[in-house]
Amino acid sequence: MSITLDQVTKRYSGSPVVNDVSLDIGDGEFFVLLGPSGSGKSTLLRAIAGLTGVDHGRISLHGRDVTHVAARWRGVGLVFQNYALFRHMSVAENIEFALRVRRMRAAARRARRQELLRLVALEGMDDRLPAQLSGGQQQRVAVARALAHKPEVLLLDEPFGALDAKIREELRRTIRQVQRELGITTVLVTHDQEEAFALADRIGVMNLGRLLEVGRPDDLYARPATRFVATFLGAANLLLARQTARGICVGEDPVLARAGEAPGGREHEVVAVLRPEEIELAPNRERLRTNYMARGMIQEILFAGALERLRVRVSDELASAQIVRADNGDDSFLEVTRTQHEQRVFPLVPGQEVTIGVRRLHVLPTPLSSFTVCAPSEAAADALMREPLLTELATRMKTRVASRVEPMMCAGESASAELEPSFIGAAVIAAQSGAVGCVEWLLHRGAEQVLVLPAGAPAPHRVVIHWVGESARRATLAVAASLLRHLSAEAVYVGILPAGPVAGAQRPLGMRALLDARSEAQAVHGLDIRTELRFGTVENELAARLAESADQLLILGISDAAELSGRFASLFAQPLRALLIVYQPADGARR
Amino acid sequence: MSERTFRQPSVLPGFGLTFGFTTFFLSAIVLLPLAALVLMTASMHWNEFVHVVTSPRALGSYRLSFGASLIAASINAVFGFIIAWTLVRYEFPLRKFIDALIDMPFALPTAVSGIALTTVFAQNGWLGRYLSLAGIQVTYTWIGVTVALTLIGMPFMVRTLQPAIAEVQKDLEDAAETLGAGRFYAFRRIILPTVLPAMLTGFTLAFARAVGEYGSVIFIAGNLPMKTEITPLLIVIHLEEFDYRGAAALGVVMLVISFAVLLTINLLHTWGRRRLVATTR
Repeated sequence: MSITLDQVTKRYSGSPVVNDVSLDIGDGEFFVLLGPSGSGKSTLLRAIAGLTGVDHGRISLHGRDVTHVAARWRGVGLVFQNYALFRHMSVAENIEFALRVRRMRAAARRARRQELLRLVALEGMDDRLPAQLSGGQQQRVAVARALAHKPEVLLLDEPFGALDAKIREELRRTIRQVQRELGITTVLVTHDQEEAFALADRIGVMNLGRLLEVGRPDDLYARPATRFVATFLGAANLLLARQTARGICVGEDPVLARAGEAPGGREHEVVAVLRPEEIELAPNRERLRTNYMARGMIQEILFAGALERLRVRVSDELASAQIVRADNGDDSFLEVTRTQHEQRVFPLVPGQEVTIGVRRLHVLPTPLSSFTVCAPSEAAADALMREPLLTELATRMKTRVASRVEPMMCAGESASAELEPSFIGAAVIAAQSGAVGCVEWLLHRGAEQVLVLPAGAPAPHRVVIHWVGESARRATLAVAASLLRHLSAEAVYVGILPAGPVAGAQRPLGMRALLDARSEAQAVHGLDIRTELRFGTVENELAARLAESADQLLILGISDAAELSGRFASLFAQPLRALLIVYQPADGARR
Repeated sequence: MSERTFRQPSVLPGFGLTFGFTTFFLSAIVLLPLAALVLMTASMHWNEFVHVVTSPRALGSYRLSFGASLIAASINAVFGFIIAWTLVRYEFPLRKFIDALIDMPFALPTAVSGIALTTVFAQNGWLGRYLSLAGIQVTYTWIGVTVALTLIGMPFMVRTLQPAIAEVQKDLEDAAETLGAGRFYAFRRIILPTVLPAMLTGFTLAFARAVGEYGSVIFIAGNLPMKTEITPLLIVIHLEEFDYRGAAALGVVMLVISFAVLLTINLLHTWGRRRLVATTR
C-alpha cells in the first residue's frame, strides 16, 4: 500500500474536522477525495502531506510510519488551488527549487527541468515569470515543481478550482496523462463530482469529517450505501418506501418486485434512491413499459443540452411527504431527466398529466428511515418537533419527521393486541420521568428504534455504543453507522466485563470482543469506531461513562425490552442524556 | 508632442480637471516653497554658501542626521518586520490593542515622545539606569538620537509591511516545506524576496521621516555642537540668529542629499518590482 491511514483524527478547538478516517490507497492509484467544503477533505490531505499534525491515528507512506515526520522529509509533492508559485522566481527556478534545496548539480537540474516541462507541455517557457503565464500554465508549472524531487506520492488540493471550464478539462487530461506515465500514487481533493468521475480510479466521499464510502465511481453511483453519497454523486430523488413481502412499494403496488430481506416478513420503511434518468413518463398506464409508481403533473421543464430536465409533481394518491428532495425543499416533486429520443416519442408541456414508471430503484441499507415524534398531547408533540437536535438530524438525513399523538403512551398500561401493530421509522419521545414506560410501550407497539431526547439537547460530541445480547449487535451497529454519518461526533464502543479477580484473566477475551466490534463496524457498515474496555456492571459503567461529559449520546442495543425498566432503570433516573434504544429480540421474529 | 501625451484616452474621466488640480496642488504646496528655498540660497555668494555648508559644525550635523536616520531605518526594517509578522500571522489576546499602539508615534506630538524617551533613558531613568551600569549612555549621545528616530519611523515600517506580509500566503511556505526547504531557507528564498519591495518602501518612509525629525530629538540629544547636533536643529539655530540665508543653504543641502537617497531607493524598488510584474519577455 502506498498510503495507509489508520483512524486519523484531527480536531480544531475540540470538534473533530477529520474523524477516524481509515483508508488504504494502492500503488499507482488515482484516488479522489470528494466532499462539500468543510467536510475535512483538505485537512486530511494536509495531514498526509505533513503540513497538519494529527491528534490521533497513524499515517504510513509505503509502509513507513510518517505520523511524526515533518513535511520536508515525507517525500510528497503537493499542488495547491492557488498554485502557490514563487512569484519572484522564473519557471525554471520554481521547478528547480526542490532540486536546489537538495544541492543537485546545475546540469542535472537543467536536465530534470527539461524533462518535467516536456511532461506538462510547457517546453521553452523556462525564463518566464509566473505573472507572465495564464492560470492553466501556472498550474502546470506547479505540477512540474511538485514532481521535481520524484516524490512517491502526488497530492493535489482542488487544483482546478480557479480555472475556467475549458482549461480545466485540458489540465485534467494532462494530469491524468502525467499520472499514468509516471505511475505515481495520486490523491486529489475536489468538491466537483464530475471531476471525480473523470479522474478517479477510486473515489472516497467525505462529509462532516467522516469518510462515508469508498469505491469505484460507477459502483458508488449505482449502489450508494448512504443518503449523502446518493445525493452528492449525481442527482437523486430520495423516497421513503415500504419493504413488503411483495417487494418495494412506494404507492399501493410494488415498483420493484424483489425478495426483500425483511425480517420475519414484517413490513418496514426503507429509503430508496430513484435516479432522474431511471424514471419513465408515459401518457397512461397502458403505455408504460416499466412498473407503475404514481400519476403526476409536469411542473417545470428545463432544457439543458442533450438532456431534458423536468420537475414532476406527484399526485395525491402518493403521500407527497414520501418524496424527499435532495435539497430538502418544502415542495415535493420528482426530478426527471429524459434523452432526446424520449422527448421525441412523448413531447411534454408544463401542466400536462403523466403516468410515472420506475425502471430501477436502489434501496439504501440504512435502518434509520424517518422519525416519528410521539407524545401524549399535541402541544408536547409540537415542542418535540422543534427540538434542535431532531430538526438538524432530519435536515442532514434529508428525511421526514412525522408526529403522532398517543394519549395512552405513558399511561403505564401495557399495549393491547388490538392496537395497530406496525410502527414506521424511529420513534422520538421527550426525556421525562416515566420515559422508560413510554419506551417499553413503543417497543411493544413495534418500534425498533426509540430516541429519547432531553429538551434542548445539543448535537453530541461523542456517541457511546453498547449492546446487551449478541442478537442486538448487528442492528445496533447498523443504526449507529446510519446515525453517525450525519453527526460530526466521535464514536466509541464501550465493552464492559464484570469486575473482580477474574477480570484480568478475561482481558484478552474483552479485547477480542472490542476488535471484533471494530472490524464488523468497519467491514459491514463502513464506520470506523474507537473502542474502550471497562470493568464493572454494565448499567453502572454506562452511567459513569455518560456522566463524564454532557454532550454525549448513548446508543443502547437490547434484545429484551423488560431489561429497560429492570437493570437499566438507572439510566433513565438521572438527568437524562440523549439516548437511542435499538431493539432486536433474540429470536428475530416479533410478537 | 505634448499634445499627444495629453490627449491619450484615459480610463478615468475628467483627466484634464484632475491633472490640472494635481499640478496646481503640487506646485503650490511642494514646488513653490522648494523653489523659494533655492532662490533664497541663490542670493548668497558661492563662497559664502560653501563656507556655511562645509563648516565643521554643519558637516558633523549631516553625519549625525543622515547616519542616525539610516541606522534607525535599518533597525526598523528588522524589528518592524518582526512586529508586522507577529501582528499579521498570529492570533493572541490584546492583538487589536497592540496593533492600535503601533500608531501612537504618529499621533503623539513629537516633543512629547522626546520628553518621554529622555525620562526613560536618562542616566537615572527606568532603563538608562541599567544601561549606564553597562557603560552605555543613551541620552546626549548619538545613540539617543538613533533611539528617537527609530521610535518615530517604526509605524511607517510596520504599516507598510503589514499588507505585504498578509499577501505572503501560508501556501507559499507550505509549498517550500513540501519541496524540502527548511524554515530558514524558506524565509531567505521565499518570504524575504516577496516582502522586499514593501520593506524598501517602509525604509524610504522611515528614513525620510527621520531626516526631517526635530521635536523628539532635541530633548534626548543634548545638542552638543559637532557631536549631537542634527541638521534641522542647526537650521533653527541659524534662524534664531536671523541668518535666513544660512538656514536656507543648509536646507538646500538636506534637500539634495535626501533626494539622492530617496531616488536611489526608489530605483532599487522599481527594479525589484519590474522583476515581479513584468509584462513582456
